[in-house]
Amino acid sequence: MIVEIIINHIPYLLDGLWVAIQLLVCLLAIGFVFGLLLALAEVYGHWTLRASGMAFERVFRGIPELVLILMCFYGVGNWYPIEPFPAAVLALGLRSTAYQSQIFRGVIQAVPKGQIAAARAIGMSGVQAVRYVVLPQALRQVPGPWSNEFSSELKATSLAYVIGVVELTRQGRYIISSTQGNILIVFAVVALMYFVVNWLGNRVLYRAERALEIPGLERRESD
Amino acid sequence: MLPRYLIAAVTAGLVSTSVAQAQDTYVAGVEASFPPWAYVEEGEFKGIAIDAMRAIAEDQGLDVEFRDMPWPSLVPALAQGRIDLLVTGLNVTPERAEVLDFSIPWWENDDEILVASDSGKNMIDVLCCGATIGAQGGATQYQWLEENLVNRDGVDVTLRGYEDYVVAIEDMLTGRTDAVVTSTDTAEEFISNGRPVTIVGTIQQNQPQALAVQKGDPNELLASLNRGILNIYASGQWEEIVHEYSPQASIRAIPTAMPGYVDSYQEPIPGYSE
Repeated sequence: MIVEIIINHIPYLLDGLWVAIQLLVCLLAIGFVFGLLLALAEVYGHWTLRASGMAFERVFRGIPELVLILMCFYGVGNWYPIEPFPAAVLALGLRSTAYQSQIFRGVIQAVPKGQIAAARAIGMSGVQAVRYVVLPQALRQVPGPWSNEFSSELKATSLAYVIGVVELTRQGRYIISSTQGNILIVFAVVALMYFVVNWLGNRVLYRAERALEIPGLERRESD
Repeated sequence: MLPRYLIAAVTAGLVSTSVAQAQDTYVAGVEASFPPWAYVEEGEFKGIAIDAMRAIAEDQGLDVEFRDMPWPSLVPALAQGRIDLLVTGLNVTPERAEVLDFSIPWWENDDEILVASDSGKNMIDVLCCGATIGAQGGATQYQWLEENLVNRDGVDVTLRGYEDYVVAIEDMLTGRTDAVVTSTDTAEEFISNGRPVTIVGTIQQNQPQALAVQKGDPNELLASLNRGILNIYASGQWEEIVHEYSPQASIRAIPTAMPGYVDSYQEPIPGYSE
């Protein structure tokens, strides 16, 4: 009987999954753009930029996602009537910015400093050296560590239900409350959906990692 | 020449936009995990409170859209004006009356003591002497148990709060609590859904339930809500809706008892006294 109920509810669970994926894409995009800027500021910026970048990163890495989501919805809501979905994107996006900035900082700093000196020596400006020498080498290292961030943020989207975003977890709860039970089986189906998306996403990222690697260098494994 | 269906679609679109512009859409916060009052089934909001609100909206020409939020978020969201009204099986309490305004009460509830059917426990076993009781955190049942059992010397019970009653029941069935105290409607819903639970006692509360709006009623919704409630009650629509979800329930005369601590029950009551 419950199998039948779950089969009937699959379209709604998929709706919820779609909301979760939209949330994920938006928050990762925010984190990617601002994380990269933050990393550049932290590595090359004036000390004031470095300090404020570091402060931002420490604060947003140090607060639980759930608290951030509630603060964005109710806190920002005091001044501007922000809707649940953008509030969740903002909260999780800022947090992802902080985490992704550390990924970018790591890969940028992994490029030996001597290369900048060499680029300057052949007449490139500092910006050109970063743009044409450092970033092309650094960014191709990103997919590996970034797959971690992808997985962790996909799971974090499940928290957005607390402010009324009807994503996958909430859709699962609807089945539980309308049937007054079946907690284990419903959440097992929900878990499977998260798992599949996670697995597919990671496969894409591994592919990207392989496509971006320089032959003969940085091999992930020796196959 | 344009196909006919296209013309029809465009016209319908124009009509619906002009209607939408003519009036504001009010956002009704619901906690959609509270059958039979409010829940979601196959993507549709359902329940007594939902259908009654739809009927009231139609009767009063209001445009209402439902937004689901978890229970602990609902009252703060209304107090902050993030939602315009609260539509669920909401109990009227003195604490809530301080931050919300209530419509005239349309229902009264008692609380039931539920145990696992195979436990063989009676109400004394589960309300005293080392027993553990579950209830939804922040619900009126939780507060009642806290005030009358937990904080009283010599009773010795442990109270556990849950996010909703489904989880509370599940925890009782695995043996972690001895009883769950919930409202009559919810208790009957569990039993009719075939959960192995039994009512071993009733706590007579005559707890009124109503819709709620922001304190001070800034959108002036109370008059429409009260008039709408009285109209659907008089027309028999209310009874139909209640019995669709809860066939055994006896209909209370509306309004039920109106506690004196509620500001919006002081005369003149908009939509009711006139």
